[in-house]
Amino acid sequence: MTIAPDRVDQPEVDEDHETARSWQVVVWNDPVNLMSYVVWVLRKLFGHSKEKSTRLMLQVHNEGRAIVSSGPLEKAELDCHRLHHHGLWATLEQT
Amino acid sequence: MTGPFTVSGDRITFSVGDDEKDVLRSVPTLLEIGGDAEGRLDYTPHPDDEEAATRYRDLVGDDLAQMRRADQATFEMVLDGESGPPETIEAFMRVIGEARIVLAGRLGIEDDGWESEMDMQADPELALLGWLGYLQDAAVETLSELF
Repeated sequence: MTIAPDRVDQPEVDEDHETARSWQVVVWNDPVNLMSYVVWVLRKLFGHSKEKSTRLMLQVHNEGRAIVSSGPLEKAELDCHRLHHHGLWATLEQT
Repeated sequence: MTGPFTVSGDRITFSVGDDEKDVLRSVPTLLEIGGDAEGRLDYTPHPDDEEAATRYRDLVGDDLAQMRRADQATFEMVLDGESGPPETIEAFMRVIGEARIVLAGRLGIEDDGWESEMDMQADPELALLGWLGYLQDAAVETLSELF
C-alpha cells in the first residue's frame, strides 16, 4: 500500500469510455432457483460477503430484481454470461 | 458430511443409492434439445434491443452450450462416485439447477409459492423437482463450508 499524493492533476475524461462504463447487471426473480443457491452464486461470482449476497437475494425475491454488478459493457456482459451459466435470469441496463 | 456429500480434505464425493442414481442419470436427457420447450434457459442480456442481442449472440456463439455440455460430463463423473474438487460439485449443482428450471417450465410454474400450493407427490416430475431442490441445497451447504 502507499499514501495518497498531495496534489492530483485532473484526469482527462474519455467520454466514450465513460458512456461504456455505465451498465448495470440486473438479476430477476424466478420461482425456481433456491434462495440458498442464489446467495452462493452471488458470493462465488462477485466475491460479495454472505451478508451482502443475502441482502441482494432478498431484494430479488421481494422486489423482483436487484443490481448485482456494474461496469463497462464488456464486463457487464461477461458477468451476465456467468450468471446465465449458473441458471440465473440476468439482463443489462444502461444508466 | 452434508446429506449425500462427503468432504475429505479438498475433495468431495457424492453418494446415493442405485435407484436414485438411475433417476439422476435421466436428468441430462431433460436438457437435450427440445427438452426446454418453454425456452426457460434461453437467456439474453439484451431482451429489448435486438441489435445488441444479435451482436451478443455473435460474440458468445455456442459458448454457453459448450459450458453446459462440460457440466453434464462432470455431472456423470460425479454420479459414478468419483471424488473431485469443489468445482465438480459446482458443475453438478448447475446441471441440477438447469433441470429444475426445465421441469418448472414443463409444469407451468410461473410464480413463487408453488411449493405450498402443489402436492409434491402428485406428479413424478413435481416430486423430482422437489428432490433435486433438496440435493442442490445440500450441495450449496457443502460448498459454503469450504468458502
